[in-house]
Amino acid sequence: MGSVGLTLPWEHKLSSVARDGERRVEPFEGKAEPVRIGEELPQDAAVAAACLSGNLQGYERLYQWQGTRMKNLARNLLGSQADAEDAVQETFLKIQRSISGFRGQSSFVTWTFRILVNTCHDLRRSRVRRKDQVNEDVDALPPRMELRAPGAHPSLRMALERALGRLTAHQRDVFLLFEVEGFRHAEIAGMLEISETASKNTLFQAKKNLRTMLEPPRSSATGGAQ
Amino acid sequence: MNVNCDDRDRIFLDGSPEEWAALEQHANTCAACAEELRAWKQLSAAANELRDYQESPALWALIETSLRQQQAAPPPRKSFWSSLDFWRHISPAWQSAMVGALAVALAVSSGYLYTRRPVSPGDPGNKLLKTSALAEVERTERDYMSAIDKLAADASPQLKADTPLMAGYREKLLVLDSAIADLRAQTGGNPSNAHLRYQLLAMYQEKQQTLQDVLETKR
Repeated sequence: MGSVGLTLPWEHKLSSVARDGERRVEPFEGKAEPVRIGEELPQDAAVAAACLSGNLQGYERLYQWQGTRMKNLARNLLGSQADAEDAVQETFLKIQRSISGFRGQSSFVTWTFRILVNTCHDLRRSRVRRKDQVNEDVDALPPRMELRAPGAHPSLRMALERALGRLTAHQRDVFLLFEVEGFRHAEIAGMLEISETASKNTLFQAKKNLRTMLEPPRSSATGGAQ
Repeated sequence: MNVNCDDRDRIFLDGSPEEWAALEQHANTCAACAEELRAWKQLSAAANELRDYQESPALWALIETSLRQQQAAPPPRKSFWSSLDFWRHISPAWQSAMVGALAVALAVSSGYLYTRRPVSPGDPGNKLLKTSALAEVERTERDYMSAIDKLAADASPQLKADTPLMAGYREKLLVLDSAIADLRAQTGGNPSNAHLRYQLLAMYQEKQQTLQDVLETKR
């Protein structure tokens, strides 16, 4: 794949205000921005309360608020739109079954995405077993990405998807949650049940690996980033 | 704030906004850092290509239907292990205290039961009779049966009376004789079973008491 990825002349800009000291690149203009969970705490509590009361409108609000984001994450973790929709549906059912156990120790969205990530991993395992692709470490298998609507840089997206497939499952989870879905490390730590420092380290390793995969080997002039 | 090439990875990992600004300033005069910074930022920008927030209106309809079905279904029975879930919500200090209290309670109750255990020379806890004890039991049982037969012979004229009371006694004695016959058949196959012998003895005692009641009625 060589230089397909990082040498394209795309636009980017750095966030003018880094959140909690975290630096991230803002999305392209005109595209949907990830929901800022920290600014949505009242909504988070309201949706959680509505779901706790057993009112289906609470779940509908959760879907309207986070549904596309959930589906996007599931799509990137599972590689197929149909599997992603199955995972989101199963996640909602699991939320309904276990909502009484939600103690508010994390935000409701963090809790929801923790269930989603686990559901995606379970689904991948079951799909792999069903296809008799027996493997000792199913999580290590990359998702098989299906074609989807072309974006601004389809070749870049395909190169990135292939490279993501070569990361460890853990690195893939952290990269997608942070860089694509816009979660903070504290939130990712809650979702993946790791420390915030571990989340930062994993993201760093993931990006170093992706950079190695997406860029051709450079001369020693580039210094010690590798 | 001054940073150099050696700080770059640390800033990439967990740099503050001030450190990022300082790194960008440093990159203006360092080609290597400028290249690394560009690549690092562009990876984040490339991640946007994986963001596709298209609505799926049909999906919510599916989810809503399955949520309604699940809501209408009876809740699954709680397993024994899930009923112990409360334990996870107790702090470790309280868990230790409760385990300690439970251990003390177990030790005290075990000691109490040990000191108050029934003591008898024949060790009634031993449910299997030894050969010599078995012979003694069978001899005594024969004598006892013989004595009860004599008692039955004494009560026989009274039992023949055509009164409701005697009819009740006759019926009770029939039931007892039937039970005694069953137990004797069982002890025949397993003569060392003390439990069966105790049951048989209880039946004999009941028959004896019934016959005595019949004789008391005569007086």
